[in-house]
Amino acid sequence: MTNLMISLRRSPRTLLERDGHPGPGPGRLGLVMARAGVGKTAFLTGIGVDALLSGQKVLHVSLERTIDKIREWYDEQLVEMLKRDRKLEHLSAVQLTMERNRHIHTFVGQSFSVDRVRQTLALLRDAMEFVPAVIILDRMEYAEVDEPAIAELKSMAAEVGAELWMACRTHRDGPSAAPGHLPPPADGFEDLVDAAFSLVPQDAKVRLHVIKDNQEIVEKGLNILLDPQTLLLVTGVAAKR
Amino acid sequence: MSSDIHKIRNIGISAHIDSGKTTLTERILFYTQRIHTIHDVKGKDGVGATMDHMELERERGITITSAATHVEWKDHHINIIDTPGHVDFTIEVERSLQVLDGAVLVLCAVAGVQSQSITVDRQMKRYKVPRIAFVNKCDRSGANPQRVTRALRDKLGHNAVLLQLPIGLEAKFEGVVDLVEMRAIYFRGDNGEQIENGEIPAELQAEAEERHAELLDAASMFSDELMEAALEDNATPELIREAVRKGVLSLELTPVFMGSAYKNKGVQPMMDAVTFYLPDPTDVPIEAIDLDQDGAAVELQPNPDAQTVAYAFKLDEGRYGQLTFLRVYQGTLRKGDTVIQTRTRKKIKIGRLVRMHADKMEDIEAATAGDIVGIFGIDCHTGDTFAAAGPQINMTSMYVPDPVISLSVSPVDSKAQDNMSKALSRFTKEDPTFKVSLDPESNETIVSGMGELHLEVYIERMRREYSAEVETGAPQVAYREAISRRADFDYLHKKQTGGSGQYAKVVGYIEPSKDGEYEFVDKIRGGRIPTEYIPACDKGFRSSLEKGNLIGFPVVGVRAVLTDGNSHAVDSSDMAFMTASRMAFREAYKRARPRILEPVMRVSVEGPGEFQGAFYKSLMQRRGTVLGSTEDAGFARVDADVPLAEMFGYSTDLRSATQGKAEFTMEFSKYAPAPKEVSEELLKKYRINVSDEEDA
Repeated sequence: MTNLMISLRRSPRTLLERDGHPGPGPGRLGLVMARAGVGKTAFLTGIGVDALLSGQKVLHVSLERTIDKIREWYDEQLVEMLKRDRKLEHLSAVQLTMERNRHIHTFVGQSFSVDRVRQTLALLRDAMEFVPAVIILDRMEYAEVDEPAIAELKSMAAEVGAELWMACRTHRDGPSAAPGHLPPPADGFEDLVDAAFSLVPQDAKVRLHVIKDNQEIVEKGLNILLDPQTLLLVTGVAAKR
Repeated sequence: MSSDIHKIRNIGISAHIDSGKTTLTERILFYTQRIHTIHDVKGKDGVGATMDHMELERERGITITSAATHVEWKDHHINIIDTPGHVDFTIEVERSLQVLDGAVLVLCAVAGVQSQSITVDRQMKRYKVPRIAFVNKCDRSGANPQRVTRALRDKLGHNAVLLQLPIGLEAKFEGVVDLVEMRAIYFRGDNGEQIENGEIPAELQAEAEERHAELLDAASMFSDELMEAALEDNATPELIREAVRKGVLSLELTPVFMGSAYKNKGVQPMMDAVTFYLPDPTDVPIEAIDLDQDGAAVELQPNPDAQTVAYAFKLDEGRYGQLTFLRVYQGTLRKGDTVIQTRTRKKIKIGRLVRMHADKMEDIEAATAGDIVGIFGIDCHTGDTFAAAGPQINMTSMYVPDPVISLSVSPVDSKAQDNMSKALSRFTKEDPTFKVSLDPESNETIVSGMGELHLEVYIERMRREYSAEVETGAPQVAYREAISRRADFDYLHKKQTGGSGQYAKVVGYIEPSKDGEYEFVDKIRGGRIPTEYIPACDKGFRSSLEKGNLIGFPVVGVRAVLTDGNSHAVDSSDMAFMTASRMAFREAYKRARPRILEPVMRVSVEGPGEFQGAFYKSLMQRRGTVLGSTEDAGFARVDADVPLAEMFGYSTDLRSATQGKAEFTMEFSKYAPAPKEVSEELLKKYRINVSDEEDA
């Protein structure tokens, strides 16, 4: 099962790793930036799926969405990967392994608070011995979580040794990035961001740029094209690199 | 009956147990003048609400059966199909969902969207039932319809939009603001029967305008005309209603209404909403299958002159014998007509046709497409289709899940024996998920169903309605066996020692099938096995599936492929090929790595947030896979997949761990391979049982 799962990995992360941008690392924050509707959530789900396929535990925290909806996203990506490898018969076995290593926690209405996330982490550890290696905060925009809250979330992730991922929405007509800085509104908390990526629609595909890595702004563009539906690697040149 | 099909509404009222559904139904009957006094659920007068017609339901304060009641409201004919709130009776819920065109989702203004609402809503989604929401109990302390609306969006994923605002809340709840007409509505008189319209109270004006704008935004998505009118500040109530209706029919909008049925407030506007926004029978495509065309899908037309097609969705044993509830989907059903029961091909004469009101039964001459009626004196099962002469139409069969739990029942004396058989034959007709079988070894009667409560209710009904006193055994989980890899077979069955002999040879393989169903494939070329013996081979494999070799439970998901074989001109027979196939299966089965599958239930536990950790623990202890958790204003819900075998006694444990503050629902999720320790334990038990029987 382990070999099969590793062989399934189709996340852009596999390429980032090869190019020396493996992502933020434990206790650090990774940020994906894009305009509304480009696929931030799909990208974050991809990070989750990839971690699960690598045998890591994932805590997916979401505002707005239902547990069923989030499970659907994971399942869709998994089905896509299995289809490409013609291994759909393994679906339920891989699904089960993923389910055991994933916990989805959703907040309804105004219930979200960093404290509640911290408490849930403690409950998961005490009641289920569940300690995530990756924490995904989905559907949480900068407007909802301010800088001190992000700092706190980061230290909470550091305590359990987990990598933290968030999304940040940019605006079509918003100001562009000042040289050496992240684009707004992420420039407001950029010191806390260890790695940042942006998604830009291009010719019916989505192009992934690394904009910050290892706490340094990256100038060199990376040539990774993603499927606009799944945000997985497009088969072809990019996937074969 | 109105000849205008556009004025028929077949609706369900769906709700969590304590959200006041029965009270609401009672008020609807009162306002539509079907009843003349109001009783409450578990009322002090001991009469009880009218729709809750079973004694058992009355006692438990829950609704189990789905009776259909006809009411008239403002020139519309509304059939209310009472949908059960408890998920253990899934088939009852699903059966009602199949015949209704729309639904009112009743939510409690205090408790909001609870776990059962989530399960029932999931089922409605599956059947694509358009719905409007009614937030009840706005008079209770802690009522907050806006929070409930948010929960509709966040927990159920509805695009919920307010069509009303409350005027006052809790003890001060007075009426509602109608955000379409932009006016206040008050309910006067002893029973709220006098509607009084007025100006929106000044303190609510600003909020009403803001919500009205939100409503326009949401509704405009479904109507360009409204969008243009809104831009010109010219949106009329008609345009808004039309757009909201489109949104509701496309399942993309859920308008939210509110009130307090108990305090007689808000019910009439909700009834108006049923006529405005929920579909009439022509709005919903009806798919059936044509058995003459190899089961090809056909769309029925709600046309009174077409071939009559009706569907039995509910049986009721009444004073006058069996009453069958039918929905007429196409054509007209007249008293004295002869129709054909598709399943049995029997001709049935419609002797008596009735419309069920809450207080009485009305004899009618005819019922047209879209209508729901009762007929007397026919022998049928629920799910049967009746069609006039013509193509053999069958309504698409309802998905019937396999039972997951069973227990033995034995009558205490011979009188109970007779009554029990009567009761069981009745229940199996009513409920396809309730099954009865005879254990050939112990000679005990076994009843099977979808959950502990499901069986308990039937046992209880046997006692009460049929005076059949029975003793029950411990509940047993319905395991399955399945193979996990391909195994070849090459088996020769040969007995040729004097007299007529037996000779059959089968070669091929068995492997897991893709969809979990049994499949038989004949790949024999050149007549190595004569065609006439092929069905016997199929039969042989099929009979092997009834009882697997591991623990004696049915084997599922086998694909048996026959590639070669041999026969003898004189000694081959159906019997010989059946035996050969059975033996071949038995041998190959051992090599196909068989394993035990156990039923896994989707469990949702919900209660105050302080118990979140206790929920995790309790589910983990029961071998659960926790899927996720949700927090909502101090409440926590945890969803998990838990093997049914571990769920016995969970309600008691949960109650004691949470001082009765938490509740849970469960429904069948899937069959999954049992872990090694569990399988070994089951194997051990089975072997001991078998050797005990052999010793005996």
